[in-house]
Amino acid sequence: MKRGQRFKIYVAIILIIMPVFLSGCWDSNELNKLSIVSGLGWDIDPDTGEVTLTYQSIIPSEIKSSSSTSGGGEQKGGNPLHTIQLDQDTGSSPYDVLSRYAQHGSRIPFYQHTQVYVFGMDGVQQGIYPFLDDQSRNPVSRPNVLMVVSETKASDILGIQDGMENIQAFGMAAEIKLSAAFSKYPAVTVLEFQKRILSKTTAPIAPIFGIVEENGPEGKKIQKIRITGTAVFQGDRMIGELNERESSGLLWATNKIEKGFVIIPQASLEIVQAKGKIVPELQGDQIQITIEIDEESNLLEYKGRQDMTSDILQELEKDQAKEIESQVMAAVEKSFALNADVFGFGEAVHRKYKKEWKDLKPKWDDIYPRIEVVIKVKTHLNEIGDINKALMKD
Amino acid sequence: MSLEKGKISNFQLSVLIVGFTLGSSVIISPGQGAGHDAWIAVAVGLIEGLFIAWIFTAVVKQFKDKTIIEINSLVYGKFLGKCISVLFIWYLFHLGALVLNSYIRFFKLEIYPATPKTVGLLLLMLVCASTVGRGIEVLARCSIILVPLTTLVAISDTFLLIPHIDLNNLMPILDVPIGKLLLASHGAASFPFAETVAFLMVLAFVDKPEKGPSAVSRGLLMAGFILIMVVARNAAVLGQMAAITNYSTYLAAQVIDIGDILTRVESLVAINLIAMGFIKISVLFYGTVLGLAQVFNFRSYRPIILPVGILMVILALTNTENTFDMIDFANKGYPIYAISFQIGIPLITLVIAKLRKLPQTGGDKV
Repeated sequence: MKRGQRFKIYVAIILIIMPVFLSGCWDSNELNKLSIVSGLGWDIDPDTGEVTLTYQSIIPSEIKSSSSTSGGGEQKGGNPLHTIQLDQDTGSSPYDVLSRYAQHGSRIPFYQHTQVYVFGMDGVQQGIYPFLDDQSRNPVSRPNVLMVVSETKASDILGIQDGMENIQAFGMAAEIKLSAAFSKYPAVTVLEFQKRILSKTTAPIAPIFGIVEENGPEGKKIQKIRITGTAVFQGDRMIGELNERESSGLLWATNKIEKGFVIIPQASLEIVQAKGKIVPELQGDQIQITIEIDEESNLLEYKGRQDMTSDILQELEKDQAKEIESQVMAAVEKSFALNADVFGFGEAVHRKYKKEWKDLKPKWDDIYPRIEVVIKVKTHLNEIGDINKALMKD
Repeated sequence: MSLEKGKISNFQLSVLIVGFTLGSSVIISPGQGAGHDAWIAVAVGLIEGLFIAWIFTAVVKQFKDKTIIEINSLVYGKFLGKCISVLFIWYLFHLGALVLNSYIRFFKLEIYPATPKTVGLLLLMLVCASTVGRGIEVLARCSIILVPLTTLVAISDTFLLIPHIDLNNLMPILDVPIGKLLLASHGAASFPFAETVAFLMVLAFVDKPEKGPSAVSRGLLMAGFILIMVVARNAAVLGQMAAITNYSTYLAAQVIDIGDILTRVESLVAINLIAMGFIKISVLFYGTVLGLAQVFNFRSYRPIILPVGILMVILALTNTENTFDMIDFANKGYPIYAISFQIGIPLITLVIAKLRKLPQTGGDKV
């Protein structure tokens, strides 16, 4: 019995000592051996078909000191930012590029904190399938990364500091999320893009970033980035874009409105709540889609210098509905012109008419532009604000 | 001959069955062949699984406190009975290796890409071996702790995913052709529900054997509801991605993002796999060693735990070439392969036992 107890004590001692030597993994990737990729750019040369990847990596040691924007510290590639470093490589495929990265990079790229994937205009017109396949296949990729199309080359966008974030890509992600929160442009994650591609009829979308020049202090030109539209894809190729109004119309119809404003000539209204619904109706060979929108809003500003009356309120509701309807109609007309089902009308028909869908699906491209769309908007004005009479009257 | 002196309560049996059924299906979603109707396939599979469970519990009901090995010897006679027993033990052994295999493939791909497979397998196997050596009671008590935790994680994952759930992804209901749906349902029945046939080795040690069948079906129902919830949620979150990704539960957990703070919780799914895989492998491992000991009339099953465990690890390392092989076999080959063990052996045993009016007669000589 005593021997057994002593044996147990020995085992316990060994077990306690063992972790001291096992505390590190032999294949550990420490922070100082990694290059944390915050944004990834994808460009294709239209002539040679070669892929250029732009890695925007975080320089961790610069993050804490970056609050004092000293400027001037020019980084590699003429990039004025000092929290990030841009690296570029060209090759025939994403992994060919990665293998070239090893020729000059000092750290292993680490993708788990990537915020945005930026696709250059040439890249999206050539098709981004190799990239999507890699994203879906590779276990280190995450489904929540935002997809962005750039008006210029992806590498240009990734080098322009904007917003209040320390790291450019985090700023870009924040801009996209804010624009989605204000119901201007859609925020599209990789998962959303994959879902749209898999549905075969629904066209994938992504916000487009462009570069604008603004006058800065001392007469210098400052480059800034801003969202300029919504890219529309057919499969993995971009075929057109929706402008600001059309993008809003798309969000109204697809029930993606969170908050934001409706601007009509005589007033501005704040959206409180909105619901969009797509109701398909099949009559023979003709498809009729009813887009039902239910909106509640508050009055924010009123330009007419007169006291509130119920007639004015009704008029505001009516004009508001008209404005929303025209936004949605603009989006519908554009999508018909592009023949790209950005709303998911096809999936809506599929959900309601699963038997007929088998025949409709193969010829969806022919059917789509001939769909009859009816837009029904119901608006309700909740509040008129703190005053009910005008300050000044005509 | 009683190699196992422990007794487990009927409640423990139910919980053990929940853990066993969740097993590796917390990672590999059953019913994937039915696309977004996978949850219907799982529901139909649950009904088929309950029917199969009714068959094999009826066998045990006839013989009360005997395992399938002893029953086989009584029903088919000494020699033939032992041959059939060895076949059944092979199934448990092979299934254990398949679970180990899916466990290590998932971990190698998603979590520990640089750790050698053998190390990962041996670590889990050591824990299982140590549990099996301590008997069924210890395993049952482990499941009382682990299963509620896993269930809690599965349910809270579902709640955290509510902002991402789009029920339109589940529409239209019954989109797949009925034949395809039934195939997927049978797949879901054979993996994981009907795999509880392994409990033919355990049911003998329940303290109230007459209530064993209801405990089994209660466990199956509970596990079935959890799986239906998980599968429906995966399809609602991932849309058609759920049908083409290998590990849809893991991908769905990656989507969780509550205010940029509560994110990257997918490791919880991996922990679930360790816990439930441990229970499933331990039950199968226990059945294998206990069965072998009974077939060869050993006085204890403990000496063969390590050799059988090592063999199981070796089979797990070699039985599939890659993940595609594994999933292909689980979807296409396995549902057919498993019929003979899940339905065949229990059903034939039951019929012959009824025909021979066993076990009333004392003389079991043939």
